[in-house]
Amino acid sequence: MPKVSNHRTLIDALLAAPPEKPFISVWKDEDDIEQVTFGEFTHWAKLQAAEFYLHGLGTGDRVILILPQGIFLMSAFVGAMMLGAVPAILAYPNFKVDPDKYAAGLAGVTRNLQARLVVVDEEFSSGLSNHINMAEGARLVRGVMSSLCSVEPTLPEMSLEPQSVAFIQHSAGTTGLQKGVALSHVAVLTQLRHLAAALRITNEDRIYNWLPLYHDMGLIACFMFPLVYHLPIVMQSPMEWVVRPGMMLQLISEFRCTLAWLPNFAFQLLARRVRAEDRLDYDLSSLRALVNCSEPVRAQSIDEFVFTYKDSKLPRHIVKTSYAMAENVFAITQSPVDGAPRRIWVSGPALWNDHRVVPVADPVDKSICFVSSGRCIEGNRVRIVGTDGVDLPEDSVGEIMILSDSLFSGYFNRPDLTAQVFKDGWYWSGDLGFIHDEELYVIGRKKDLIIVAGKNIYPQDIEEIVCNHPAIHDGRAVVFGVYNPDLGTEDILVVAEVEKEELLKDSIEIERILRNAIAAELDITAREIYLKPPRWVVKSTAGKPARSTTREKLLAEHPELRRDVTQGAQFQ
Amino acid sequence: MNGQAQEVINYIVKDVIRRPGVEIREDTPLVSSGLIDSLALVNILLKVEDVTQMRIPAGKVRPKDMDTVNLMFATAQRLGKPRK
Repeated sequence: MPKVSNHRTLIDALLAAPPEKPFISVWKDEDDIEQVTFGEFTHWAKLQAAEFYLHGLGTGDRVILILPQGIFLMSAFVGAMMLGAVPAILAYPNFKVDPDKYAAGLAGVTRNLQARLVVVDEEFSSGLSNHINMAEGARLVRGVMSSLCSVEPTLPEMSLEPQSVAFIQHSAGTTGLQKGVALSHVAVLTQLRHLAAALRITNEDRIYNWLPLYHDMGLIACFMFPLVYHLPIVMQSPMEWVVRPGMMLQLISEFRCTLAWLPNFAFQLLARRVRAEDRLDYDLSSLRALVNCSEPVRAQSIDEFVFTYKDSKLPRHIVKTSYAMAENVFAITQSPVDGAPRRIWVSGPALWNDHRVVPVADPVDKSICFVSSGRCIEGNRVRIVGTDGVDLPEDSVGEIMILSDSLFSGYFNRPDLTAQVFKDGWYWSGDLGFIHDEELYVIGRKKDLIIVAGKNIYPQDIEEIVCNHPAIHDGRAVVFGVYNPDLGTEDILVVAEVEKEELLKDSIEIERILRNAIAAELDITAREIYLKPPRWVVKSTAGKPARSTTREKLLAEHPELRRDVTQGAQFQ
Repeated sequence: MNGQAQEVINYIVKDVIRRPGVEIREDTPLVSSGLIDSLALVNILLKVEDVTQMRIPAGKVRPKDMDTVNLMFATAQRLGKPRK
C-alpha cells in the first residue's frame, strides 16, 4: 500500500514512527556499521535538543552543524528543530578539499547565517574554526555524541508551527557563494507528500545514500523523506564512495535497498570505475528506482550504466529522472516509476538557430538526443519563457520558471538576490529547457549558453563529443565562449584533459579528430582546442568541472584570450 | 627509507607531479606546500592501499592525515585493516 503522511511538522512525523523500526545504518567499514531504530534516533535527538537548550538555543536561532556524515549530525539537526531553532548543515572538510578554498567558503556562508551556535567535532582544526564568522554572543561548541541513556531528557514545552522555518539548506554553487534557502515545515511536508505519491512509496522501501547532507538530494530525498515516511536508510560517507564507488552496489545488494538518487556523472563513474569481476557479485534486483537528478541527464550515461550492470540482476528501466532544486525544497518533476523516461531526437540546426525543438524520427545527421525529466509532480507548475519574459509554446527553448506549493520565499538574509529571481510569484530558475508532450526537458544553465553568430550552442553537447574520444579523460572537458572583437560574436574554446600526459605528444592529431567530430555532429567550428595534462581542469566540491574557475585558469595561462574577453565586455 | 615509502614517492613524482627535477622525501609537505592538488589524493590513497595491502576507510581520513608520505603511512597504520 502506498504510504501517506499528514503531520503538521517534521517532528510530529518523526514522533509517529514505530520505535522499533530500523532507521539509519551508517556503513563505515566492513566491521563497523552504526545502526539506530526510529526510537533510538528520537531519543538521541532529544538529548541533543536538551544540550542545545543548555547553550541558550531558542526559537528561530540559527545553529550551524559542521560534522562528519552520520547519526550524530542527523540527531543534532533534528534536535535543533525540536527546539524551534533553525539548523543548517555545512560541508565537513575532507582530505580532498583545498583548505584555502574551504576556509574562504566557510567565512562567507557563516557571515550570512549569523548563527547563535556553531557545532563542530573534536577533530575540526582550530585553524579552520578561525574562519567561522561568529555573530555577537555566538558560541562555538565541540560536540560529542552523548551515550544513550535511559533517562528521558527534559525539554521546554514547545509548540512548533507548520509555517515556522524548519531549517536552512544551501543551493548549489561554490561553497562561498552558496545561497541559504529557509524552508518551513509545511513546505517540506507538502513537497514530500507529492514526491511520495509520484514514487509510490510503500512500507517496504529502503533508501541507499552516499550524497552529502548539505546538498538537497542528500538532505531532502535521503534524510527528511525517510524520516517522514518511516523508511530505513543505508548510508556511507561521500569520500568512501569517491574512493570505492562499487561499495554502493554491494550495500544495495546486501541491504536490499529499493531507491537511490544520483547525479548523472555518478552513473558514468559506476560504469567505468568498478572492476568487472566485482560486478558479478552484485544482486541489484531489489531496486525500484535509481533517480538521475541534479544535473542535465545524458542518455549515454544511463545506457552505459545499464549495459555495464546487465549481469548484476538490474531490473529493466531502473533509471528514472527528476528535475529538482533546493529553492523548491526538492523535486519539480519526476519521470514515471513504471517505465523508462522518454527520449526524443531533435534536429540540431533548428535548436541551434531558432531555439526550436523539431523532433526527428530516428538518430540522423546533426540530431541530438534529450531525455525527459518527466511531468510536474502534484502542486508544481513550470512555464518556459523567452528572454523578454513572454511565454513560449511547447517545443520552444527558453528559461524554466517554477511555481509550486513548496517554493521558498527568498534567500536567507539576501533580499537583493531574492529580488533577482522572483517575478509575480514565479521563480526564474536560470535553467534552459523545453516542454514536449507535457514533459520537461532540461538543457543546462542559461549563463553557460554560447551564442555564435546568432546560433545557440549548448556547451554540454560539445563536451560530450570531446569526452567520447578515448584519449580524453571522461567528464574533464569544459567548453565556453569568448568574444571575438573582429567578428563581433563569440568563439568557442574547448579545454580538455588527456587521460595520460604521454598523449599530449599526439595533440595535433587528437585536436584534428575532435574538430572534425564537432563540425560533423554539430555543424560548428571550435576556435581553439587546448589539451591539458591530467588534473588540470578545476573541479567543484561535487566533483564536477567548475566551469567559470576553469575558464579563469585558461585565460590566466593564455593572456591573449583575455584581450578578447575584455573587449567583448564593452559590447555586452 | 623503507621500500613501501619509496614506492609511493616514486608514484607521486612520476604519476602525480610529473615535473622533472622535483624531489620529495617522506616528510615533504605535499598539499599544504602546493606541490600536489588535493584532488589527486584519492589516487594516492589507493596507491598507499595497494602498497600496504591495507584497506583504509576514506570517510575517516582527515585533511592533515595525507600531507606527507610519513603521515599517509601513519594513517594506514591507524585506520587500515588487512585486505581480505
